[in-house]
Amino acid sequence: MAEHKVVGKPVLRVDAKSKATGGAKYTTDIVLPRMLHGKILRSPYPHARIVKIDTSKAERMPGVEAVITGKDTAGIRFGFVDTPRYPADEHPLAEDKVCYIGEGVAAVAAIDEDTAIEALKLIEVKYEELPAVFDPEEAMKDGAPKIHEIIIPAKTCAWEDWGVPRKAKPLEIKNNIATTLNVSHGDIEQGFRESDYIREDRFFIPTNAHVCLEPHDILASYDPFYQKLDVWLGHMGYELKRYWLAKTLGLPIAKVRTHNVYVGGAFGGKVTIFPYEVIAGFLSMKTGRPVKMVLTRHEVFAATCSDHRMIVEVKTGVKRDGTIMAQEIKMINDCGGYRGSSPVVMFLSYSYSKPIYNVPNIKYEGKGVYTNKMIGHPKRGHGLNQIRFALDSQVDMIARELGLDTVEMMLKNLYKPGDVLPNGDILYTYGLPECIRKVAEAVDWKNKRGKHNGRGVGIGLGAGDSGLPYWPFAAAAIVRLNHDGTATLYNGAVEFGQGSDTILCQIAAEELGMQTEDITLISNDSELCPMDYNNWLSGGAKVTGEAVKRAAIDVRMQLTECAAMALETKAEELEIKDRHIYVKSDPEKKMAFDEILRYSIQKRHGDCIIGKGYVKAVDEVEFYPSISKGTGRFTEAYAFSATAAEVEVDQETGRVKVLKLAVADDCGFDINPVNVEGQLESQGAMGLGDTLFEEVLIEEGKVTNPTLADYKIPGTIDMPEIETISVQTVDPKGPYGAKEVGEFARGSVPPAIANAIFDAIGARIYSLPITPEKILEALKNKKK
Amino acid sequence: MKQLIKLRVNGESYELQVEPKRLLVDVLRDNLGLTGTKKACEFGNCGSCTVLINGTPVLSCLTLAIEAQGKDILTVEGLARNGQLHPLQQAFVEHGAIQCGFCTPGMLLSAKALLDENPQPTKAEIKEALSGNLCRCTGYAKIIKAVEAAAQKTKEEK
Repeated sequence: MAEHKVVGKPVLRVDAKSKATGGAKYTTDIVLPRMLHGKILRSPYPHARIVKIDTSKAERMPGVEAVITGKDTAGIRFGFVDTPRYPADEHPLAEDKVCYIGEGVAAVAAIDEDTAIEALKLIEVKYEELPAVFDPEEAMKDGAPKIHEIIIPAKTCAWEDWGVPRKAKPLEIKNNIATTLNVSHGDIEQGFRESDYIREDRFFIPTNAHVCLEPHDILASYDPFYQKLDVWLGHMGYELKRYWLAKTLGLPIAKVRTHNVYVGGAFGGKVTIFPYEVIAGFLSMKTGRPVKMVLTRHEVFAATCSDHRMIVEVKTGVKRDGTIMAQEIKMINDCGGYRGSSPVVMFLSYSYSKPIYNVPNIKYEGKGVYTNKMIGHPKRGHGLNQIRFALDSQVDMIARELGLDTVEMMLKNLYKPGDVLPNGDILYTYGLPECIRKVAEAVDWKNKRGKHNGRGVGIGLGAGDSGLPYWPFAAAAIVRLNHDGTATLYNGAVEFGQGSDTILCQIAAEELGMQTEDITLISNDSELCPMDYNNWLSGGAKVTGEAVKRAAIDVRMQLTECAAMALETKAEELEIKDRHIYVKSDPEKKMAFDEILRYSIQKRHGDCIIGKGYVKAVDEVEFYPSISKGTGRFTEAYAFSATAAEVEVDQETGRVKVLKLAVADDCGFDINPVNVEGQLESQGAMGLGDTLFEEVLIEEGKVTNPTLADYKIPGTIDMPEIETISVQTVDPKGPYGAKEVGEFARGSVPPAIANAIFDAIGARIYSLPITPEKILEALKNKKK
Repeated sequence: MKQLIKLRVNGESYELQVEPKRLLVDVLRDNLGLTGTKKACEFGNCGSCTVLINGTPVLSCLTLAIEAQGKDILTVEGLARNGQLHPLQQAFVEHGAIQCGFCTPGMLLSAKALLDENPQPTKAEIKEALSGNLCRCTGYAKIIKAVEAAAQKTKEEK
């Protein structure tokens, strides 16, 4: 490993002091003069036709500045997916009918929140209830209530706007099937014929929530004289939000500015454009005043989005020695009242699992199904959690039945470094075997497994991309040299807790012979910063990091060239250190950066030294892989994880105590080791919640636990010891070898804990969360 | 009907006209511009709005501003003095205990109340004292380590 001075070191976070002193600004903290407050009236019915809306009383209420309904926003369409095949199906406010409880039907802007809330009570909506359907398998049956019959595309779809010359056509929906996935490699039937043992199981993953501590929010401020919209909002990448705000509100994209704010947690739950964001922009344009919307916790739980509910059926055929010959996977994704990210979550379930077990014959079939429930969207790992719980639970079952060691069986079925996946992606680095061995060792796997004495150990695996092609298909950065010889870095990343501000400053500092504090950071402002994929595509370190590295190298080259001219030597004779350039053979001959800058301006036509860097997620790819067929290059570098859990199960109460989690991750290279530890500890905690208690309870379409009292997330007292292990494989494609680290370990935690529970009690739970009730039930059935 | 109330926040006195139903968190944030105190759950379940009243951690989203009259209110903005971070703030910064930062102000104040009363807590006591403060980012390990480090540092300095 090359010698580094700033990257690879536990540099303190650049945002920490402002967050520790209360100075850090989040959207919820921003106040503008003449600011109004927006509120949304939401449907109490899961499926109903809107007969009539009377807003006249609300409009007459003092302090109310605007009231809108679906009539005002008619025809505006948006969605996480808006392709020729799957045109966008969402709208700001319901136009003729509502498809889930919590869908917006009217909105108000008023002088304060209390007035807005009172005004909502004055809006009279007459509904005609329609038969509703909540179970995706019921929804697919003939005769089930039809949630959508035909999706009419907007004038253009997003892919068309982004350069694909194909029009979207009206999409007829049959049996509520919103979306399908079909991926296969090899000969599945032949694979099963060659198998000695075949096992089929069915798993269920419920709705769970992101629970960012900062609720979803936006402040939108329209200036009618410049026809320009300024927004501050919780997000994970401004490009997508800005594109959709511009499109839905009919503004040129350069007339929408997203401002830099910190984001109080995201976890995938703030990626997509939401109705409330379009509504806030619309209300601001209507009133000519700033409009702020901060959703209540109830709204966040019941009317933004959740992780995807999924039924996963797995049929696996293996040889007696544990070699997997064939795997057939059927996914039913209960996507809710609108499509959400359904086609993507199924595609990613496949794509993220593909680099784990090298299964020669494989078939994935997925159906996304409309139901009258809230919508599913990405959550940390986007599909990995669902599929790994199923696949690694089943591998554990197969290994035990064949008398094999689960760890040995997992290791036997992996790829090797250098292997090429069916879509052409190359596994340049592959630290998964080492991750597995290290976590197994960390829980003393060999000695502790198989005792069934109330204590058990288990293992689960994860993998994912390090940045993938998506609009605007480029990440770029600018570095300028400042008068005093320090530098300013401009990049489009958004800091939502993951540490991007810090690691990007570290990268710039490393290349420029500076310290992190020498870098002034301008990030996350669509007007000041260049294009970026943004962090929601798991490419913050690898893709944006590489762009920053290239921009800093550009500045370094210019400095060196200029110093060579001034010192009358060759560039190769020079070295860079502590904001100076030295002649290697004669360190007395040197120039400080500020001197070089002055020299450059004087002697080189005013060149004040500005560097640029740019990069694509996958250099060979011009657009995007097929999400329905799984073909096409996807990412240049996969990150890998393994988790081992040790648990103790109280067989009287069914209570599970996680004694230890060991989370290992191959993120290529730790740009900031403390940050890497923090990401892995974070995912251990989130995965523990996923496994043991988190579920958004939905009865007849209604979320019945929409508070943090009723929806429990892990607290200090729930947390076991988490040992984090970083496996640094130094990927040739990432900056300094870095890959993704922030999201794919989460998916390895639920199967690890579930397998440990089986190891402890000899009973298998097929659905998350694994509650004491389910454990007692499983123990009862085991005795029978 | 608004009424005149007097609040003492971070050592400074304020006279304000507020409605009796106004929550302390809203008065701190909206009237005094002390936006370091965060609102995240509205019902006292997450601890993000924790402030200290006469040294005791209180959920400002469940407290009326008028109830806090005549008492010493400490918010996150009052922790650092003369440009120097409080030892807990310093420890949170140094130990990577901050990610998105939304829970940080409440965490710091709960931790301060603990250390003021029990300067050398055990790990179990730290976990217990912070059990009402939710964090979705860190998994708590580094937060607990930071509180331990701040306690250790205070001990060494004595």
